Amino acid sequence: MTAGSVKTTSPPVPVASGMIGRPRKPANTEARRDLIATTIVVVVMIVAMQIASAYVPDYIMPAPLNVLESTKELLLNDKTHIFVTLARLAVAVVFSMFAGIIIGGIMGTVGALRPILRAVIIIDTGIPALSWMLVAVFWFRDAETRIFFILTVILLPFYALNVYEGIRALPRDFVDMVESFRPTRWQVLRYLIIPHIVPYIFLTTRSVIGYAIRMAVFAELVASAIGIGSRMSLAQSTFHIDRVFAWTFLLVILNFALQAGVGALEKIALKWRPEVEVR
Amino acid sequence: MTNTPHAMIELKNVRKTFGEFIAVEDLSFSVAEGEIVALLGRTGAGKSTVLNLVMGTLRVDSGSIRVADADPYHDFRALRGRIAVSFQTDRLLPWRTAVENAELGLLILGVKKAEARRRALDWLARVKLTGAEDKYVHELSGGMRQRVSLARALAVDPKIIFLDESFSQLDHVTAKTLRTDFLRIAKEYGKTCLFVTHRIADAIEIADRALILTKGARIALLETITEESRNDAGALTALHDRIAAAMGGADDDDEEDDREAATP
Repeated sequence: MTAGSVKTTSPPVPVASGMIGRPRKPANTEARRDLIATTIVVVVMIVAMQIASAYVPDYIMPAPLNVLESTKELLLNDKTHIFVTLARLAVAVVFSMFAGIIIGGIMGTVGALRPILRAVIIIDTGIPALSWMLVAVFWFRDAETRIFFILTVILLPFYALNVYEGIRALPRDFVDMVESFRPTRWQVLRYLIIPHIVPYIFLTTRSVIGYAIRMAVFAELVASAIGIGSRMSLAQSTFHIDRVFAWTFLLVILNFALQAGVGALEKIALKWRPEVEVR
Repeated sequence: MTNTPHAMIELKNVRKTFGEFIAVEDLSFSVAEGEIVALLGRTGAGKSTVLNLVMGTLRVDSGSIRVADADPYHDFRALRGRIAVSFQTDRLLPWRTAVENAELGLLILGVKKAEARRRALDWLARVKLTGAEDKYVHELSGGMRQRVSLARALAVDPKIIFLDESFSQLDHVTAKTLRTDFLRIAKEYGKTCLFVTHRIADAIEIADRALILTKGARIALLETITEESRNDAGALTALHDRIAAAMGGADDDDEEDDREAATP
């Protein structure tokens, strides 16, 4: 592989010495602070709901205890729908990640294909999610295919663009160093490009996970008879606003759990990266 | 029959231009096996272009270059494992530990993982980094990083080592220690070395010969540096002054180093 095949800019990951900033506070201190803030926000919301529920009918604002009761019910009776949504989400995210890495990788290393792929990705990001959902209903008979298609066309561009940006940010110095050993193209990919883009993949996953949950639920609402989205639609049409709130509550918890899971994986995979806090 | 040493690096009438700019004009020199040659010159003299030509990352306009009996540009892959480079900055990959960085070249050359690890650990010990093997790059000092970089280059057991201003980013004490270590290793294992630098002190300390380049990579002076000249204060000062004059003066930043070098 010749050095010219990889576009480079400045190094993305500064090292600790000589860096502006100071060592990050211990992780447990930061986690405790986050937990306290989140608890305060949740308590304020519960109090506001309780007050509002005293003044408006149940079908507009249910009492927090009713929502809790409904949540318990859903967890007991509707587990399958939660797992179905999670499975759809996992399959679509993993597929989008791998396809995005391949497309972003090609964009970053094959100059001739870059403009074409970039144009496709930019056009894709410009199409509203709702358009994809409606189109999917026309194009595909099977609900799983519809949801997989909708989530993939929405998530894939994020991965492709971020991986491409990651490759562009590969320091020229690193490329020259690896090339001085006369590697094969595969070795450049294995020892340099892939490890370098890992932080970009994590960043993308953390950024899209909340969005992906919302899109998955929305897609289920439009295109499926099972899953959290379809159950929310059913609750709404039968005037069970407490269940709508309960599903929403579960979705927020799900988002927290997934973010925490990705964060834990990131910590393990990027243990080499010094953490700093800017003054 | 004459007993001429085999030239490991040989340039004949090399010319390289970038548009209208003549970077290298009719340059010829050779480096014998086991010899350390310093390419000295001020910024813009063409040192880096010469190094890139010899490393095979640039193509000559005319003339010829042979490195370990191969054309470094056209036979790019033929020099796999026969050359190594120690750069001005350490260029260590931050996601790899010291030992993982040191073994990188070996892995690229297809050495089995266990053997690569053994050899990398061995070289880290030789550059005095025992105990720091599992540290990540941000946990190492500048001197330690440069040592890992040197270990990475030496671990592949190259016939030829290119040093590109390898010691110029370090403080004086660390640079001197590292130069001494490098010289010991290079001589012990008979490495051929082309050392690009703008610091006269570095060149005098480790090179067998110094090639002073001026604009267009024209050779202004060729000096042979012997142990005697290093150990004789008068001869050393005269040598230093000749080189500085040929370069058009030493860099102000390096005067302290140069004064130090002029003291045996």
